[in-house]
Amino acid sequence: MGESTDFISDLPQSIIENILTRLSIRDAIRTSVLSSKWRYKWSTLTDLVFDEKCVSPSNDRSVVETSLVRFITGVLLLHQGPIHKFQLSTSFLQCRPDVDQWLLFLSRNGIKELVLELGEGEFRVPSCLFSCLKLTRLDLCHCEFDPPRYFKGFSYLKSLNLHQILVAPEVIESLISGCPLLEFLSLSYFDSLVLSISAPNLMYLSLDGEFKDIFLENTPKLVAISVSMYMHEDVMDFEQSSDYSLVKFLGGVPLLEKLVGYIYFTKYLSIGDDPGRLPITYIHLKTIELYQVSFEDANEVLVLLRLVTHSPNLKDLKVSASPIQLFPLEEEGFDLFDREYFDYKLPRLETVKMTDVSGIRNELEFIRFLLGTSPVLETIIVTSSLSDKDAKMDMVVELLRYPRISPRAQFIFLQD
Amino acid sequence: MSEGDLAVIQPEKMKSYIWLQTTDGSIQQVEQEVAMFCPMICQEVIQKGVGSSKNHAISLPQRVNPAMFSLILDYCRFHQLPGRSNKERKTYDEKFIRMDTKRLCELTSAADSLQLKPLVDLTSRALARIIEGKTPEEIREIFHLPDDLTEEEKLEPLKNTMDDPRIRLLNRLYAKKRKELKERERLKNVEVEEPVDERSVDDLLSFINGRDRKVVKLSKGKKKNKKKKDQKIVFSDEPHDIHDKESHDLHCKYKGVEETGSSMREVHNLPSMEDDICTPKAESEDGDIDDEIDPAMREMLDREVEDFARRLNTNWVRSRGQERRPVHFSINGNGTTRRHTGPSTGHTGS
Repeated sequence: MGESTDFISDLPQSIIENILTRLSIRDAIRTSVLSSKWRYKWSTLTDLVFDEKCVSPSNDRSVVETSLVRFITGVLLLHQGPIHKFQLSTSFLQCRPDVDQWLLFLSRNGIKELVLELGEGEFRVPSCLFSCLKLTRLDLCHCEFDPPRYFKGFSYLKSLNLHQILVAPEVIESLISGCPLLEFLSLSYFDSLVLSISAPNLMYLSLDGEFKDIFLENTPKLVAISVSMYMHEDVMDFEQSSDYSLVKFLGGVPLLEKLVGYIYFTKYLSIGDDPGRLPITYIHLKTIELYQVSFEDANEVLVLLRLVTHSPNLKDLKVSASPIQLFPLEEEGFDLFDREYFDYKLPRLETVKMTDVSGIRNELEFIRFLLGTSPVLETIIVTSSLSDKDAKMDMVVELLRYPRISPRAQFIFLQD
Repeated sequence: MSEGDLAVIQPEKMKSYIWLQTTDGSIQQVEQEVAMFCPMICQEVIQKGVGSSKNHAISLPQRVNPAMFSLILDYCRFHQLPGRSNKERKTYDEKFIRMDTKRLCELTSAADSLQLKPLVDLTSRALARIIEGKTPEEIREIFHLPDDLTEEEKLEPLKNTMDDPRIRLLNRLYAKKRKELKERERLKNVEVEEPVDERSVDDLLSFINGRDRKVVKLSKGKKKNKKKKDQKIVFSDEPHDIHDKESHDLHCKYKGVEETGSSMREVHNLPSMEDDICTPKAESEDGDIDDEIDPAMREMLDREVEDFARRLNTNWVRSRGQERRPVHFSINGNGTTRRHTGPSTGHTGS
């Protein structure tokens, strides 16, 4: 076995690194025992991804914790050169001074992407994180985030993901404003957050938590929005006073292509005084998915109609109805649909999926509306939450007799 | 680079072939769209204007041998057609990389020199899949890698000692010593269950002189460490006067690094390596004394040690492992210990 038959060790380092980055960090480091040439080939890898699979499993948590800490510290100390990505995702580690030390080390080695997903606890992000000014991506989970006063933001940050972070709301706002290049923002697991987002380059927004009030102040480039909104009880009270939430939230996103809303999102949008017409047309909006829409509430139905009628290029629509809340609002909703809505056309709508339909008037009218305004509709899938077979049959019969302007439109009834 | 652009540069040449010269000297024509799929060829054509005739054939880089080149052409011929679906391309790729490992490496190298990144990524993925989850022995087998690291090196991922050829000599010496020790273990009955180090100074001296091996072998790892530290402390101190003897320098150097190494072993212990390497060297790798010291040297050593041992409290020798702090001794790389035979108050920790 002479040198001439070794056919991999002399490949250029860029190829070796290409290969090593595709291995788990553990396998990559094992290559250091292959031969003398391989001893330090791994040590210049710029992306390091750690989780508890890096160390041998054990039933004892503390053993895993200790060996993981040793492993990571060892790797960092043996590493040479800059580290661009550091990812640590494990529930086995939480509050340990080692994590602070690693972050300090990383801050001195040009870290660009940092993903820190620790177990539940009170890990306080050390101040050295705020001196990592080259950061382009920051993902934090289960931490306390408290920047020093001199901190102005990460001027190169493109992606920010904060999950269950203990932080003051004004800090988030100033953080977002202090990251002018921000393109992807995800905030999840918050309590009663009041937020005003100003991010001129933001393209993807994902919110998941208890938000009291959100205002998209300056987000002209938003392309996709996904909101899971849990609402605080207080919000239910200030229905009368404020501006129309639909406009506040979706009034400034002309480039929107996809909108997804869960839980109370539609309810949130329906709060406030309805001005009658939306000031904006969503010419790029192709997909709308709204879940837990309460069809008994006329305001929510109105929001739905507004969105649908202001999206001339809408292609896919998914609506999921809430279970019945027994509000005596049904009657009011009835004449919603007899007004000007049938003048609208939905020229590109191809697929519709309505789930959890319980056969109430507004739901049926909405489907009738869709059938009467979409000339290229192909499939309309309906699933029902009714248990009573007769009621279900009545509903199906009713739906089938509605006129359809699309010759190809097909109903598909699915069991829930 | 579209064909339209090329036509602008050389309007009179309506040919759609590029001339390429392989490493064996033969010249061949390749359809333009296929050849231009390789960025390197593209660059040559545009920047240097070659490749348009037999006389001005583009010479392929050395890493692209004729066999690899024809493979790469097949790849380019398939992928340069825009009409293929992603699924088709994936299926083709999966079939394409089915070849023996040696050719895969050659192909990676060739694709890299032609700057054909998609193919480099494809082959790298395949190579990564080959390496993934295998033991070092298996990987060496597949890629014909020489197993030229010593056992110490495999366990100690420390940087500083690496490039010194004298270290290799030392490693060989240690390897020999280890073998000898193993022999003696098998012959002797070892009674080292004592939790406390009761060795007298005499024992230590005789140990250093290489006569009595009793104290070396240990069954339990913890005690081993403790005893090793013992030996190391004592030993590393002596040669500070002896700088001309190379092997001693090596000892100090190695020991010095060793010492800090072993105390930090907790930290540097990448567990995966121990899993793979099944020789029992964690215990016996250090603490070995080199027998090949010449007698005159040994004399001097003995005297030094005696001196030193006298200065030491016997407490030190007998103390429990936990309180031991071998890192007291600031040993720097060139073997000179700052802690020479000065007052003992300076260095003992217990």
